[in-house]
Amino acid sequence: MKATVISIPVRDQAKALAFYTEKLGFIKKRDIPVGGGNRWLTIVSKDWQDGPELSLEPGPNHFEPCKVFQEALKDAGIPWTQFDVQNVDTEYERLKDLGVEFSMQPTEMGTVKVAVFDDTCGNNIQLVQGL
Amino acid sequence: MTFYKKELEKIRRLVYANNVQIDIIKGVRKFIENNYQDNLNLDSLSNNHFVSKHHLLRLFKKYYGITPRQYLTDIRIEKSKEKLKNGMSVTQTCFAVGFESLGSFSSLFKAKTGIAPSAFQKKKQLSRNCIHPNSRPLTLK
Repeated sequence: MKATVISIPVRDQAKALAFYTEKLGFIKKRDIPVGGGNRWLTIVSKDWQDGPELSLEPGPNHFEPCKVFQEALKDAGIPWTQFDVQNVDTEYERLKDLGVEFSMQPTEMGTVKVAVFDDTCGNNIQLVQGL
Repeated sequence: MTFYKKELEKIRRLVYANNVQIDIIKGVRKFIENNYQDNLNLDSLSNNHFVSKHHLLRLFKKYYGITPRQYLTDIRIEKSKEKLKNGMSVTQTCFAVGFESLGSFSSLFKAKTGIAPSAFQKKKQLSRNCIHPNSRPLTLK
């Protein structure tokens, strides 16, 4: 058994694809129409293209509890998921310059440094650097 | 302050209050990263950081969740992937990243990645040839 797909709920798939590829640097891997304007849309890390795919799935638009859960996490500042980076400070500056909003600036937590940003699609996402 | 920030503060007080321990263990991790190709073991790590083997092992596991040996193996496997991708032979890669036996390198590599080093290299070379911007498009005859 292998973990190959990690879901991220998004309100607008086209907007999410633009944000995750143009600002975060992911690459589109699969884009399959599944009816009703919805897509099976996945992206992968540029430097790990055979790694796990992130599925940008429109759950909140079709399943109310998903929307409620997503909103609750967002309001509490809790990240939906996290991405590893080489250097949190460098990524923070790069993304800030691109207009990305952070709810938590780079912060050391013992053996990691973390920062949290708004993915503009309903989620907080955490950046992590091992120290 | 958000709920999440409050929780992080709580964790910081509970888990990360001992800065001396954290500085030691971060130093050990950095040392492993910078010297992964050498013959590292608990003796050399503890001598370099002036802590007992037992204490070092306990601290590393406490803060990183894995043993120094597991961390060293993970780094060596990641570095070996880079070298294999760049065309270094399996045998050269094995010794360049600090393994002392081809057998243990191959079995650890397969356990961590799912495929043998030689198969990994072939796969990467194949995918590189397919997507290389200067490669000729394949034509069907």
